[in-house]
Amino acid sequence: MTLALLIGVVWLTFVKATPMIYAALGGTLSERSGVINIGLEGMMTAGAFSAAVATYYTGQPLFGLLIGIIGGAIVGWLLGFLATRFKVDQIVAGTGLNILCLGGAAYGLMLLFNQPGASPQVHSMGENYRYLVWLAPVAAVGMQWFLSATPWGLRIRACGENPKAVAAAGLNPLALRVMAVTMSGAFAGFAGAFLSVGELNLYSDGMTAGRGFIALAAIIFGRWNPLGAFAACLLFGLLQALQIQLQGHISWLPTDVFEALPYVAALIALVGAAGRKAAPVADGVPY
Amino acid sequence: MKHRLQLEPIIAIGIVLIIGSLTMLLAGVSPIDGFSALLFGAFGGRSEIGETLVQTTALLFPALGICLAFRSGLFNIGAEGQLIMGGLFAGALGANFNAPPIIAISAMLVAGMLGGGIWGAIAGWMKARFGASEVIATLMLNFVAGFVALALVNGPWKSPLASGAETAPLLPVAFLPSLLPGTRLSIAPLLAIGLAVVIFIVLQKTVFGFDLRAMGDAPEAARRSGVNIARLSIIALGLSGACAGLGGATIVGGMLHRFNTALSPGYGFTAIAVALVGELNPFWICVAALGFGALESGGLAMQASAQVPKDAIHVIEGAIILVLAARRYIVTKRTAAV
Repeated sequence: MTLALLIGVVWLTFVKATPMIYAALGGTLSERSGVINIGLEGMMTAGAFSAAVATYYTGQPLFGLLIGIIGGAIVGWLLGFLATRFKVDQIVAGTGLNILCLGGAAYGLMLLFNQPGASPQVHSMGENYRYLVWLAPVAAVGMQWFLSATPWGLRIRACGENPKAVAAAGLNPLALRVMAVTMSGAFAGFAGAFLSVGELNLYSDGMTAGRGFIALAAIIFGRWNPLGAFAACLLFGLLQALQIQLQGHISWLPTDVFEALPYVAALIALVGAAGRKAAPVADGVPY
Repeated sequence: MKHRLQLEPIIAIGIVLIIGSLTMLLAGVSPIDGFSALLFGAFGGRSEIGETLVQTTALLFPALGICLAFRSGLFNIGAEGQLIMGGLFAGALGANFNAPPIIAISAMLVAGMLGGGIWGAIAGWMKARFGASEVIATLMLNFVAGFVALALVNGPWKSPLASGAETAPLLPVAFLPSLLPGTRLSIAPLLAIGLAVVIFIVLQKTVFGFDLRAMGDAPEAARRSGVNIARLSIIALGLSGACAGLGGATIVGGMLHRFNTALSPGYGFTAIAVALVGELNPFWICVAALGFGALESGGLAMQASAQVPKDAIHVIEGAIILVLAARRYIVTKRTAAV
């Protein structure tokens, strides 16, 4: 009985952590290239919405997943383009993208389905979504390997530390940054699609619920390392899982207090991670 | 420089109009119909103007707070949570504190400033004491504020008479006087304009304001000239939050007459756009707030009369932020070239 409960909590931890893991891996890639990605939340929204729409019209959740990745990547490219070509303030631009994506998805719901709040139910992945959960640790190891052991990973990291050196080596740091942020958007879009056609079977307004922002805290707590971010996401996922498992059992604490737990944990993690200088030197600095 | 025709604002407005038109065309509505429905909905009559000013004011308070923080080099993305906490504190006090109106109203407004100020100062303290990023701290505190408010209005502070999640109604002594009878408009816009004047004077004419701007423009130079950066960060974010909290208090005292979670449909986020469009200058922020207030109130009318979903205005708002962020670069580049 208790073993079953324990396995349930562990599984739920991974399920809840999965979208944050994908978003945090994308965010790590972007930040290591030198672009702060506050727009992760908006890219997740774009992914969740476009995946639900594509699945609605085709009935193919895998196709929806692909469209979700593309949707997130387009928003990611836009941030990368603005951050390199126009040297915008990345925090301001990311905030603008978040508003744009949330508004755009709400607008799209009205245009396509003429109903506010949520899309109609779509044909979701059903039980197959668990493959995406199992894929998350593999993706984290893969990203760690990519960044630390491949030439492209090294180039991207160099963009985040010293873009001038990258330029001196004959590479284009701006193009590399656009590429990294676009990939980052693809990951966030995948995370959003996981929510709308994997774990659930529709898009609803605000369904990302700050996961993109929690992913940012996870990146910092994980010291800009993919595996560190992965571990931080598991911690936040565990809190969400406990919240779901415990809220029925502890009646003296209101539900809303439990729901605030992951966000409070992210705040504590932020404080706990502070003082350790691990951020890429040129993170957020336009080149 | 002064005599040169400033093309960038015109280009920026043009891009925003084009994006707005495209969103309307997507809904199958001619942009002329869409924009005229928007304009008429915002300024077409007494009640429309009243509602536009209500929205303007609700945006102006947090935008002024954001201005103060941004000028100090601190990214306060947490105005939404600060607004909620201000409204919550004001609602709790206003429902229980019986005094002559002038005292009751003042106390309620101070409670709102305190609520928002504490919420802002927490982020400032996390940054000053631990070096935590204020961007993510304020973002997270938005969510925490939402849940704290929910927990209180669902639990200990829930009105015994209400069916929904809300606090007990304010005592009538705490109601803000009406400015335009027959509309929801209270005297809040006058308070907001007063706040804009105060912030302008503080930033431009006082030593404290100079220190804030120095911290924003050249933190290292400010630190070497003896400014206590850590302390000033907490104060700046606290004051920034107090502005938003005051806004929350005026919404509670002027319109809702109690706290409930429908307090803000995202004013704290739109206010970021308002502050940036206003070039972080209190006077232009007032103008920008009027523009965005018209968008917010006209958007609903546009949905009703021209069948353009009101969410179109959020697409336009997001586009404005992006275009402005890009425009700043164009301006700097051209100025540098001259």
